[in-house]
Amino acid sequence: MNHFSKWIADFLHPPKEARLDLGRRAVLGAGLAGAGAKLLFGVAPEASKRTFNPALIRPPGALGEDEFLARCIRCGECMKVCPTNAIHPASLESGFEGLWTPLIVTSLGYCDYECNLCSQVCPTHAIRQIEVAEKQKIKIGLAYIDRSRCLPWAYSKTCIVCEEHCPTPKKAIWFEEVEVRNTQGEKLTVKQPRVDAELCIGCGICEVKCPVKAPAAVRVTSVGESRNPENQMLLSSDSYGVG
Amino acid sequence: MAKKQKTSWIVWLRRLAQASFFLLFCYLFLQTVYHPINQAGRGVTFFFNLDPLVALNSWLASHVLVGAMLLSLVTLLVTLVCGRWFCGWVCPFGALHNFFTSLRGGPAKQKLEAGGYHPWQKAKYYLLVAFLVAALLGADVVGWLDPFSFFFRSLSTSIYPAINKALVAVFTWVYDANPGVGPVRLTLVTEPVYGFLRKYLLAATQPYYLGSLLIGSLFVAVVALNFWRARFWCRYVCPLGGLLGVVGKNPLVRLNKHQEKCNNCRLCLVDCQGGAAPDRGWKPSECFYCWNCKSDCPAQAITFNAGGRS
Repeated sequence: MNHFSKWIADFLHPPKEARLDLGRRAVLGAGLAGAGAKLLFGVAPEASKRTFNPALIRPPGALGEDEFLARCIRCGECMKVCPTNAIHPASLESGFEGLWTPLIVTSLGYCDYECNLCSQVCPTHAIRQIEVAEKQKIKIGLAYIDRSRCLPWAYSKTCIVCEEHCPTPKKAIWFEEVEVRNTQGEKLTVKQPRVDAELCIGCGICEVKCPVKAPAAVRVTSVGESRNPENQMLLSSDSYGVG
Repeated sequence: MAKKQKTSWIVWLRRLAQASFFLLFCYLFLQTVYHPINQAGRGVTFFFNLDPLVALNSWLASHVLVGAMLLSLVTLLVTLVCGRWFCGWVCPFGALHNFFTSLRGGPAKQKLEAGGYHPWQKAKYYLLVAFLVAALLGADVVGWLDPFSFFFRSLSTSIYPAINKALVAVFTWVYDANPGVGPVRLTLVTEPVYGFLRKYLLAATQPYYLGSLLIGSLFVAVVALNFWRARFWCRYVCPLGGLLGVVGKNPLVRLNKHQEKCNNCRLCLVDCQGGAAPDRGWKPSECFYCWNCKSDCPAQAITFNAGGRS
């Protein structure tokens, strides 16, 4: 016991050679550097909650942004495990604080409807553990049609690729059959795709498979993501806050 | 100069442990992949769960601790008793640095001069303090420099894709060129090898990652710095090493130098991994317990003893 108390005493008042000799001022300076970094992260526009980066699409199950950044250790497990190579290290999409955190880049890969591997491997549960059934209901973003590029919309051509790939049980992409004219002035009927914002989960397979490239005629942005009640489109009447 | 000593069996045991943990890390890395049916490999977060820095930081920042991270308590307890034993024997990133450090050329005198303690080794403690304070205020950015995060991220987003691309290119080239004489073709050898790699090592499809050049360059730079200073990352940068250095600053297992035998040749510095100054004073917080100093000492003046300070 005497030995043990001596050990504790040595820990609190170490003998000369065991001391780290860090210096009070230097430690204080390092602490201030840490606090200063947090302060500077806090004055980046991304932290203001007034604007949301459309490209900041997090994997399904990702916590709210503040909580996510407090947990993610940027280890790249989710990036490695993603079978569609959809998850990439962020650059500045979530401010400098979010450097190398996971980002789903829907121009490069889509989030597979039957997969929850990133939530299985996240060591800190920044992407919380979710079953596939739950994942299939989580919106990570929302697709929108670029009518000036989409083949039926802009060129009166027939194309149904996005609707065919859409994985939700009731398709989030639906068609309106419209009579249009082609360049020769002839009348013909095309199916113009539209997005049902209630059904779309933002998985991005429509963007990846779209035959129009650089950029695709249907693209995904982060608006509507389940994890952020602020980043929404006010689609349902009750969310206007009227009455 | 005294003749080279026979390498101690403990050094060989340490190398075996390092190689095993390094291979385990690589195995778990390769297991971080889609298995049928929708199941990642088991235990792929093992090294992150061993990491008290990750546990402490994410707890400070989010006030939540993932249950599996309690495993890091084992690391802390062992460190209390055995100092930064973890850095020298377990850490796979440390093993990589150790390997590249061992590739250094140059005369022993040069290594000796560069091998001693340097005040800049305190940098890792300051980094640790900065990360902990930032985490306390809610910004958990320790993953930038946490050794397992750094290593895994570099492997997954740049090194592994590059290796994958190179291997596929080489085997495809041999297949296309099909060199050989008559029925004896090189592909008779390369195709079975390629089949093996395809099954156990290569990615199903070539992976690509945004910003992989920056992440990969940092990794290569950190590895290359081993040629300037032995285990540069572990000595100067690693915030986990800093944390373990603080926890293990008064270990029970200690280096003892028997002054009556020491002839001040300072050969103990030549292969010292941590810059722990075994020649004068010994700094427990910098020692990786690699046993090189004891193994190198021509006068048997260095021993490691359990039981704390006498």
